Amino acid sequence: MAYQLYRNTTLGNSLQESLDELIQTQQITPQLALQVLLQFDKAINTALANRVRNRVNFRGSLNTYRFCDNVWTFVLNDVEFREVTDLVKVDKVKIVACDGKNTGSNATE
Amino acid sequence: MLSNSSPVVSRPKYSRPKLYISVIDDVIESMREVFLDEGVEERVLEELRQLPTNYAQTLRKPTASIVIPAGQNLHNFTAKANSSSTLATFSLPPGVSYPVQIPAGVTLQTSSGHLYKVNVPVMVTQAPGSHRVLSQPIQHVLEQREPVAHQETTTNSTVLQTIAPPVNDLYNHPPAPTGPVIQPTEPQPVACQQLGQGQCTSTELPAVQPPVVQKLLHSQLPPESPSDSPFTLEGIDFSPQPLDMSPTSSFVGQLTGLQEKAGQMQVLGSEFGGREEEDMNNAEMGTLPKVTENTGAVNLEHSEDSVKAALMKAVSYNDLLDIVQLDGVCDSSSEEEQAAGGPEDDFLGMINAEALRALQEGDGSSDGGSSNSNNSDVEDVMPEEEEDPLNSGDDVSEQDIPDLFETDNVVVCQYDKIHRSKNRWKFYLKDGVMCFGGKDYVFSKAVGEAEW
Repeated sequence: MAYQLYRNTTLGNSLQESLDELIQTQQITPQLALQVLLQFDKAINTALANRVRNRVNFRGSLNTYRFCDNVWTFVLNDVEFREVTDLVKVDKVKIVACDGKNTGSNATE
Repeated sequence: MLSNSSPVVSRPKYSRPKLYISVIDDVIESMREVFLDEGVEERVLEELRQLPTNYAQTLRKPTASIVIPAGQNLHNFTAKANSSSTLATFSLPPGVSYPVQIPAGVTLQTSSGHLYKVNVPVMVTQAPGSHRVLSQPIQHVLEQREPVAHQETTTNSTVLQTIAPPVNDLYNHPPAPTGPVIQPTEPQPVACQQLGQGQCTSTELPAVQPPVVQKLLHSQLPPESPSDSPFTLEGIDFSPQPLDMSPTSSFVGQLTGLQEKAGQMQVLGSEFGGREEEDMNNAEMGTLPKVTENTGAVNLEHSEDSVKAALMKAVSYNDLLDIVQLDGVCDSSSEEEQAAGGPEDDFLGMINAEALRALQEGDGSSDGGSSNSNNSDVEDVMPEEEEDPLNSGDDVSEQDIPDLFETDNVVVCQYDKIHRSKNRWKFYLKDGVMCFGGKDYVFSKAVGEAEW
């Protein structure tokens, strides 16, 4: 079972809303929608692990930190995300991180 | 600044758009066999492939009314409304006549706040022999006291509001129709009732072309006869199973009980139907239900009143919004409300006690119980008020916590290591998706530092 963490992304939210619509119109069953989401979890985890190869650095000030159920949640302020040549500055960012050493768990965000 | 067109991913082969497309394709292909096994048409799978990209474009559209042009299915617009969490207001223009097709899955809200979820495609039609009446916005169901009165008002508009988030089935079978009749879009005769008009129409659903619906809050309708009754949703008959309601809702449970009571009243009405002419002048007959030709009509005044009274207690969406929270974040405010109402509760308790003495013949027992409970509640509140000042300083940032973690800039990832030395934190992250201001970025590794 892959992390369901990535359901709270743009793509994941769009997929969930699409499935909700299909459920409301009774074109698919909720069980089938759940299967789709589980398949999405596998696909996105695999894609990020195998198809992405880049490194990012960031620096900022830590506002809050939380560690619960092996999930870290940080809120940083005035953060700069830097790649090789690009830079992104944000006033506030929330980082939700699951344990990368134990990807077999099915922890949600 | 990183732009949307130049994603963080350096390898152009796996740029963000292609990455997302590849993920969607993987999901679709892996689910193809499952969909076929479930008996789902392949077009649904293709629609699922297309929908996420469409939703991503409509995620941040502001709240706005939706204009539905003629001849277009409401389904797509409903989906957009759901995706953007908008509050769509549908109103019938003056030149539009019934029927109006409402697809399944649409949640309707009257101007008074009542929610009606359409589980099956329905079509709002106008009963023959009566003009469309809409002298004012959709009445509160409980306020429909005189369906036969044929009230005549100045404003003419039909306002149907849809709530984007799906809600539980609160109510889908009002007691009795008055003017227009909402029927499911199935090619079979549907019995409908006309309260007070002595009509019993049974019509097949005609071929429907969705009318033009414009964004009008108070549109002018065609001149209506004075004998028309105001438009309400009471006459909704969601056949073939109008009484099929979810038992999970407490309100529905109440409604079920009320309808059972109404059914009993119907039986009485049918029994008296044969003697209607004989007892016409009987004073008691005024309290008996009005019997129409159709025995299935729920047109009993007393049952209506009781149903409406119960509906008023349970259905009011505004009341749901005003539910006082007695714990959690908002407990202080609720306690303040109780504190503010303390002296008044005492006064009311005294009044209730006096009324109890005066009305011992009537419902004195119930009032006494309520007064006793009020007094006990007041007594319980007092000690809590004394303790509140002592604990008021414990929750300093209580209100800030929910707002603190609310942001549009989110990074979801996995952590390899989180290190802290005094107040210096170091983050070693991997396989992350970042969303900053609507733009998505991905990374395989991320290293960060922050000072707390």
